[in-house]
Amino acid sequence: MEGALKLWAVILAVGALNYLSRLSFIALFARRSMPPLLARALKYVPAAMLTALILPMIVDFKGAAADFATPRVAAALIAAAVAFATRSTLKTLGAGMAALWLLQWVRG
Amino acid sequence: MRDHIASKDFREGFVEMLPACIGLLPFGLVCGVGAAAAGANWLAALGMSAIIFSGAAQILAAQLVAADAPFAVIVLTCFVLGLRFLMYSAAMAPYLRPLPERMQKVLAFLLTDQAFAAAVRRFNASDDHHGAGMHFFGCGAALYLVWQVSCMVGFLAGNLIPSAWSLEFAVPLCFIALLAPLFRDAPSVAAAVTAGIAVLAMSHLPMRLNLIVAGVLGIVVGTLADLARERWKAR
Repeated sequence: MEGALKLWAVILAVGALNYLSRLSFIALFARRSMPPLLARALKYVPAAMLTALILPMIVDFKGAAADFATPRVAAALIAAAVAFATRSTLKTLGAGMAALWLLQWVRG
Repeated sequence: MRDHIASKDFREGFVEMLPACIGLLPFGLVCGVGAAAAGANWLAALGMSAIIFSGAAQILAAQLVAADAPFAVIVLTCFVLGLRFLMYSAAMAPYLRPLPERMQKVLAFLLTDQAFAAAVRRFNASDDHHGAGMHFFGCGAALYLVWQVSCMVGFLAGNLIPSAWSLEFAVPLCFIALLAPLFRDAPSVAAAVTAGIAVLAMSHLPMRLNLIVAGVLGIVVGTLADLARERWKAR
């Protein structure tokens, strides 16, 4: 597919699927109750998908082996502790970026 | 619509969301940079933020387009990532039911991770469903406006940001802010640990397929842990 066309096809398809997912139980299946097993499984979508999405952004790969001893991993752990305690996006972001900048500066 | 926007609850939601919006600014900038890297012109970049309106999906779609992944893989990966909206939708549905249908359709469009987190707190605290709906509308509107502006600024001026600032690290941090509070619940921890190990172990898979496989494995393990916990409690 040609570049610009493919990008627009992706935007429209992903946008439509996202909107249908958002609309699903509010409007589309408003009169139906969710099957209990589905309700149970969906509770774990955020934990599983968000972890799978962000870990590759934090952990470096040297060849085939993951490298965990990096400023990014340490900063992410500090940010996670702040997020766990405060539930605040702003404080998590502040603590994580400050930790990253400090650790990168210490490492030179 | 004007009455809605003039309501006190709308304004409260709008203002309450602003600190979280500031936290999302760097995320929006990174999404704009990602759109540019995927070869978007300004209209397509605006289309991404205005139509998809989900940072996670925008980043992922931009990365996959830039890596020239097939259309079906991009759409499927973003769909699996967006499955969490099904859960948010189901959780919000009883609160939105008293509202007019047109309003429900607008609010559904504004349903995001951050707006959901703010709305659930408000809905749990208040019996006034209409007021809570307007509060959610305010939260969503603030997020939508700030998101469009920050993505556009990232698209236009992203290459002016020094790479030494590591601004792209703001993206995982925004998701950590949503993820870490879930760790109070054991099956969620099981789901996250499984997905985390799987995504790293399968990082050699092409086209980010490790993301879908790891996500599905995590969901299955979380669900099984939830069922096991229930059975153990019933003994």
